[in-house]
Amino acid sequence: MLFCLSFYQLLEPKIKYSEQELVVMLKQQSSDAFNYLYENYSGALYTIINQIVPDKDTSNDVMQEVFVNIWRKIDTYDAVKGRLFTWMLNIARNAAIDKVRSKGYRDSLKNQPIMEGENGGMAMSSNPLINDVGLRKVLTKLNDEYRKLIDLSYFQGFTHEEIAKMLGIPLGTVKTRIRTALSQLKTMIQ
Amino acid sequence: MNIQEYISSGVVESYVLGLLSAQERFEFEKYCETYPELKEARDAFELAIEKQAMENATAPPAELKKKIASQIFVEKKEQKLSPVIPIETVPSKKFSWAKLAAAASVILLAGSVWWAMSLKNENDKLKNDLTKIQQDLDSSQRQIAQMSDDAKKMGEGMKMVGLPGTPNSPKSFATVYWDTTSKDVYLLVNNLPKPASDEQYQLWAILTPNGQLQTIDLGFIEMTQKPLQMYRMKNAQDAKAFAITLEKKDGNPAPNLEKIFVTNL
Repeated sequence: MLFCLSFYQLLEPKIKYSEQELVVMLKQQSSDAFNYLYENYSGALYTIINQIVPDKDTSNDVMQEVFVNIWRKIDTYDAVKGRLFTWMLNIARNAAIDKVRSKGYRDSLKNQPIMEGENGGMAMSSNPLINDVGLRKVLTKLNDEYRKLIDLSYFQGFTHEEIAKMLGIPLGTVKTRIRTALSQLKTMIQ
Repeated sequence: MNIQEYISSGVVESYVLGLLSAQERFEFEKYCETYPELKEARDAFELAIEKQAMENATAPPAELKKKIASQIFVEKKEQKLSPVIPIETVPSKKFSWAKLAAAASVILLAGSVWWAMSLKNENDKLKNDLTKIQQDLDSSQRQIAQMSDDAKKMGEGMKMVGLPGTPNSPKSFATVYWDTTSKDVYLLVNNLPKPASDEQYQLWAILTPNGQLQTIDLGFIEMTQKPLQMYRMKNAQDAKAFAITLEKKDGNPAPNLEKIFVTNL
């Protein structure tokens, strides 16, 4: 058993850096830092991007943007305000929302062939949003109203004011309901 | 503030997921410094989100890593040449006409101020130029008036008599303008040596009635340093010739003929 474990480690030496160490490496801009960052975090960031951007080609473009941004802006990361992963997750989410909202992207949709979705609605011809993993999957456990509020605010990036207008409910109510929804979400993932 | 209530309000999750307004975010970060339990709650949710995300990782296409690496490391070389302007990662705001208008009005204002200032400078310069030209014109007009005055004196009936230097002073020269109608006499000193302080020049009219030489005093010449000065002398009823002699300051009823400087006799 012990032998097997050390043999496995020889084949695939997995070095685990602490966040602090990784941040130092990233600031030095070494290729080792990039490799480690990509190997460890690309999958998790790719999931969140795909939960916001509905087609794969665009997702890949956003992925590229996100890693370039992490690379360039590492000096602005402040460990006092939160974990490195949280910082990167927010960069990914913001980049994805920006992309979906950009005029170029919206124009490109008009030229895409569309087809009937499963439920009779319109769906993209390319890959649909990944709903069966991650936060999206957790969301399905929330009631419809809460799910909608989290979808609009977290995945589509609307402000509380915009949502209040859209749904015709007071701003204060939007805020409390989103926070309640998030509290429920927390108990589901912790 | 009841920190437990704050912690369980959903604000921690909103902060971590990036759903707070700038103001709320600032407050949250301030409270984190004061309340360690708030920071603990934040850390716990961050770890939970991270764990959840890691467990739900989906592999990106294999070729993507190489593509990104090449962009990052090519860029790094370029960065040495020119600094790259950092990209904003928060969702960009919609294009703001208000901001554009504000920027445009600032530029417009700066332009107007510059324009007004250069107009003022131009105006001041023109005013100065105008004053100078006005002064030049006044002085020119005075000169013209003087000259036309002089010219009048040399008009009809004016007799011009040149008085060349005698052996006493060969380089000397004077000109008498004698108005034969009004009998006015003007003397132009073309060149006379400066007299000693107790001497002065005197102009004489010379007549020869019955073959006899007669001289009539036409006045002293108050010599100034001005060249080509015109002097008004005493009137001469008649004259055959003119002469200038150097006399004692008190004057002489008859000229000192030894000291004739110029004459046309």
